[in-house]
Amino acid sequence: MVRHFQETETIAHRVLLEMLRSRRSLVFWVGFPALMLLLFGLIYAGRGELGPSFDRTAPGILIGAALFFSCLGGPVAVIVGERERGTLRRLLTSPLRPGAYFSGIVAAHIAIALGQAVIVFAIAALFGGRYRGSVALGGLILLLSVCSYVGMGFYFGARFSKRTEDVNGPVAAFGVPLLVLGGTFFPAELLPPFLLKVAYFDPIYHMNAALKPVWAQGAGWSEVGLHVLCLLLFAALALALGTRAYGLMLTRERAS
Amino acid sequence: MIEFKAVKKSFDGKPVLLDLSFHVEPGEIYTLLGPNGAGKTTAINILTGLLTADTGTVRVHREAVAETTRRQLGVAPQEISLYQDLTCRENLAFFGEVFGIRGAHRDRRVAEVMGALGLDPWAGTPIAELSGGWRRRVNLAAALVPEPPALVLDEPTAGLDIESRHHLWRLIEGLRASGVAVLLTTHLLDEAERLSQRIGILDAGRLVAEGSISELRQRISAAQVAEIVSDDEDSVRDRARREGWRLRRYAGRLCVWLPDRLDFPLLVQRLEGVPVTSVSLHEIGLEHIYAELTAGFEEPSPPRDRATVSAAAAAPGRSPAR
Repeated sequence: MVRHFQETETIAHRVLLEMLRSRRSLVFWVGFPALMLLLFGLIYAGRGELGPSFDRTAPGILIGAALFFSCLGGPVAVIVGERERGTLRRLLTSPLRPGAYFSGIVAAHIAIALGQAVIVFAIAALFGGRYRGSVALGGLILLLSVCSYVGMGFYFGARFSKRTEDVNGPVAAFGVPLLVLGGTFFPAELLPPFLLKVAYFDPIYHMNAALKPVWAQGAGWSEVGLHVLCLLLFAALALALGTRAYGLMLTRERAS
Repeated sequence: MIEFKAVKKSFDGKPVLLDLSFHVEPGEIYTLLGPNGAGKTTAINILTGLLTADTGTVRVHREAVAETTRRQLGVAPQEISLYQDLTCRENLAFFGEVFGIRGAHRDRRVAEVMGALGLDPWAGTPIAELSGGWRRRVNLAAALVPEPPALVLDEPTAGLDIESRHHLWRLIEGLRASGVAVLLTTHLLDEAERLSQRIGILDAGRLVAEGSISELRQRISAAQVAEIVSDDEDSVRDRARREGWRLRRYAGRLCVWLPDRLDFPLLVQRLEGVPVTSVSLHEIGLEHIYAELTAGFEEPSPPRDRATVSAAAAAPGRSPAR
């Protein structure tokens, strides 16, 4: 168990170090959500108060503009980069256990998500926004959202992307419609009834539906419990799919 | 230290390794030579645990290849497999940690390895900013941090200039001298000749010969090789037949395998009357052994209409010359 944690920490540390060195992704993962939050916060405020507008906007931006790109696109980029450089193959000849590699990438993206949450919260607070709900419930929703994204990221990275140029294709083609359907940038209530039914199968819808009321209205488990449970199911499914695709990818990589 | 015993491997029913058996002792460099597709990479992949053998056993330190044997084996892959945005020191520390080396022990090993490979000036430089030669050194260094008793070096000097190559050769010889068992694959015959205590020649999945250079030399029924350049190769063939010399064409050059040692003047005398542009006399080297054992030689085409070539007919400047 100690060895697993040590190896997980080694991988997570390396992923974070690489991200810090790659200034482009750092700027993107920090700058893009900050800019989006400012824009949407100001747009939704209209001529009214800024604080409530930023309360409503911040969770959607955190889920759609921050975690989506870092925690879905991030693992895809990590896996594809490892395959391209041959480092994955090198790691397969080392004593590192594949499970620790997987959990290291998950841990790194949880850390990135926490950093992004702090930044989004800080910007919202600057404009008078306030987090009103339970920190534990918000943390749980965030954790399940990260697990859902990372699981999907592993799935796409392992199944569909072989080169760095391939990374954006599946993320954009599959992910952006889910973002829109999930009510990230506008209230899901605007969706026509039949699309709302479809949205129930979209994990991003449940991320928004759970985090937005907790953040802006201080909603508790009784109000968002169903969405959290749905999110739990999606997270488990995404991690299961991601693990399976990862296992198949390792088998292919060993034989290549 | 490293042992292959009757290892067989097939892909989709096509045999790639056929009863491969060899071993590498501590303090020995054993080179696997063979043309592309001979099975070298498959053998290494089985040793490193990437593939499993269909039958036979592969052992490291008397233990069948498993997760535990990976700690005993350092692998420097042919391609530079490093993290480009991380510095030299960070890469080495990472690969040390992957092998379970942490804290002060890791820092000490990283410093030792960087010192040994002359990497100190580049410790804080990202890999992406290093030249090819330095990257290759870091690639090797990453395999050395865990102090493995056995090393697999897959074409460790590919793409390096002569100076860098010689530097890495000295390093590899130093590792051998310290008792490390080294399994080397290379396409550079001079590298194999310079570094190896023993060489295994692999062809179509079979080990067709194994031994030291002198042992391999004894498998070739020739004492020397004469390389002859001539516009009239038929005359050379005629003379070779008359003298009882075997003819081979190697890398486009016509070679005569001399069963007994000859002085150069005597060779020139025996070629009297054959129009040649140049003649050179060579000791049997690894390239000749390798090509002969892996059928790398093509037999020259049969002679056309024979024309007697007299010594007088040889144009000026076309007499045998070294």
